[in-house]
Amino acid sequence: MRPQKKVSRRALLKGTALGVAGVALAACAAPAAPTTAPAAEATPTAMPLPTPPPAAEGKTAINVYSGSDTNITDWHANVVIPAFETKFPQYDVNIISTRGVAGGIKSIVDRSLAAMEVNADPQAELIEEDPAYFPDSVKAGLWQKMDEATVPNAKNVIEAARVSEFGMPYRGSQVLLAYDSSKLPDAEVPKTFADLIEWVKKNPGQFTYSRPDKGGSGGNFVVRAIYEVTGRDPSKFKPGPADPALIAEFDKAWELLRSIHEFTYGNGSYPSGNNPALQLLANGSVTMIPAWSDQALQALSRGVLPDTVKLAQFADLPMPGGYAMMGMPKNTRNPQGAYDYMNFLLSPEIQESVVRDIGGFPAISWSLLPAELQSQYTSVITDNVPNWPGGEYNAARNKGWYEKVATNLQP
Amino acid sequence: MTSIGEALGAVNARATMQAALPRPRIGLGSVNINALIAYALVSPPLFVMLLLIFFPAGQAIIRTLFIENETGAIGFSVNNYVNFFSDRIALSNLWFTVWVTVATVVGLFLVCFPIALYLRFAHGVLAAIVQVLALFPLFVPGIILAFALIRFLGPRGMVETALNLVGIQGYTSPYLKPSGIIIGLIWDYIPFTVLVLTAGLRQVEDALIESARDVGAGGWTVFRSIVLPLMDRPVLIVFCLNFISVFGAFTIPYLLGPAAPQMMGVYMQATYGDYLDQARAETQAVITFLCCALIGLLYVRAVTRQRAELS
Repeated sequence: MRPQKKVSRRALLKGTALGVAGVALAACAAPAAPTTAPAAEATPTAMPLPTPPPAAEGKTAINVYSGSDTNITDWHANVVIPAFETKFPQYDVNIISTRGVAGGIKSIVDRSLAAMEVNADPQAELIEEDPAYFPDSVKAGLWQKMDEATVPNAKNVIEAARVSEFGMPYRGSQVLLAYDSSKLPDAEVPKTFADLIEWVKKNPGQFTYSRPDKGGSGGNFVVRAIYEVTGRDPSKFKPGPADPALIAEFDKAWELLRSIHEFTYGNGSYPSGNNPALQLLANGSVTMIPAWSDQALQALSRGVLPDTVKLAQFADLPMPGGYAMMGMPKNTRNPQGAYDYMNFLLSPEIQESVVRDIGGFPAISWSLLPAELQSQYTSVITDNVPNWPGGEYNAARNKGWYEKVATNLQP
Repeated sequence: MTSIGEALGAVNARATMQAALPRPRIGLGSVNINALIAYALVSPPLFVMLLLIFFPAGQAIIRTLFIENETGAIGFSVNNYVNFFSDRIALSNLWFTVWVTVATVVGLFLVCFPIALYLRFAHGVLAAIVQVLALFPLFVPGIILAFALIRFLGPRGMVETALNLVGIQGYTSPYLKPSGIIIGLIWDYIPFTVLVLTAGLRQVEDALIESARDVGAGGWTVFRSIVLPLMDRPVLIVFCLNFISVFGAFTIPYLLGPAAPQMMGVYMQATYGDYLDQARAETQAVITFLCCALIGLLYVRAVTRQRAELS
């Protein structure tokens, strides 16, 4: 009975069964085609690589990509862009989030690079990341330098923030210790990293940090452990290729972190992001976490964190932080739009909003902002923000941490 | 990964159910035209699958086997696989994935078989409500489910609060534990499992059961001697498809699971995206693929045997 149908159906079924598994394979298989498979695959919701909507009639589009948490993309969408578009009605700005896209912002850099090779539209005017994180793209000449000539407000950017050749900084934040002062008196808050390690061992289950690759608060806490074992000198770590001698010293940091593994929340159940860590602090499951200054301040002002939560920093060497930067691909179709938006981000008006609305610190001098701001935000104002170069050091940090700290295998 | 597995799973579920429907007979004269139409209809999705899945997958397999040696020449080598199987972390992640998958699939049967039996034999408003509830997870995206479970089962969540209210202390949340993944995945796959099992049970004819009852068989005997033997194929199909989807799950293990060990989906993503190690990620993908392909073969055998018996 109908043999031909049987054959075709069998082939199809075989294909489908193998296909289910094959998808997993395809995910990692096609990095050369950045517009297709990899992004679509490993994302939680299987989203394709984000593309901007077309610009409104008679306007030119400025496409800004960001992999930052919702507080930042919301701020762009609800505060910066409306003010900018009122001043510059000729533009239509899109802020596009790369959260949840596998490879994150790197997938957009890859796409821009691929577009440059075939002289196509990268569909990106500004990309929120330090281009130095993507050495291949810097080598290939993807990035356009922005300076006073094209972005006049760049002259106000403070020296401490000028750490990247191609990235233009516009807001800063730093990882601090956030603790519940109703459970931990201010006087007993650890002052040094060594104090913290002691405190965690004495208070099992009361401390946790996010997995280093899933949230910068945990990532920079791990970096602080690396600083601790490499002579507390952040200047040893320079952007570009990683120094194998330094990487070899990471093992001491793993030993240090491993010593508190079983004393962290849930015997080493590290939450998978900045916000999951904040939630554990907010609902009282833990007493202390490392947290981003801006996220903690914003959560406090919105009442997401109870007002008994306070912030502190190590006295010996602070945890790293850094300045969020914008990079501009050379092949962008709307360079003037990119310059204008960047310049607007650095205007005193928006820099004040960085402090007031997202709890960040400004990239321009505090003296250009209203004086009362300074006194209000003393706990986040700092002159020491160690800058971690990321790149290959991040890969070594994440891999080492997963294999030597988070694992339950005995060495 | 969940969603693609789900999509293909749904297609298969539909195919399984359609197989049960009576089809109109086709006259001998129209066989060839029908065959051509069938091939024409099948070819576009087949072509897309070849291009988007099989071609890059084949490339990946080749890339993991042909690697540069010290002299810079590219030659055949199984080094990538030797590295995988001598890496304790990689092995522990693979075993963890197998373990979680088996536990999830077993759990699914324990939860879904009673529901399916109930839906097959019960009628009325209550049965309709149970059916809606059982199918409800179908309409909840995995990521929402994960956050809902964190709120519900997590520390200071609803379960813990409720237990505290009635005086029970010492609840340990499954959040960030292997059991968190298993609970999440079971909830996620209930609708599909119930759908296929119910479809399978509907093939057990009422007449068969009634005649057994007429000769005095009780509920348990009917289940053991009539229903169960007729259910082997639907059970095998559910087992295979659930196994493959759960093995490659991503969202729920990512959000609810522990930092270590990791399931293969999460591990692959970390190796590729965070450790920037494409060769190892590809090797992990090929091994994951082979595990799923083994189970896939079981599925194909089950289905083709059924076709052979029908014809």
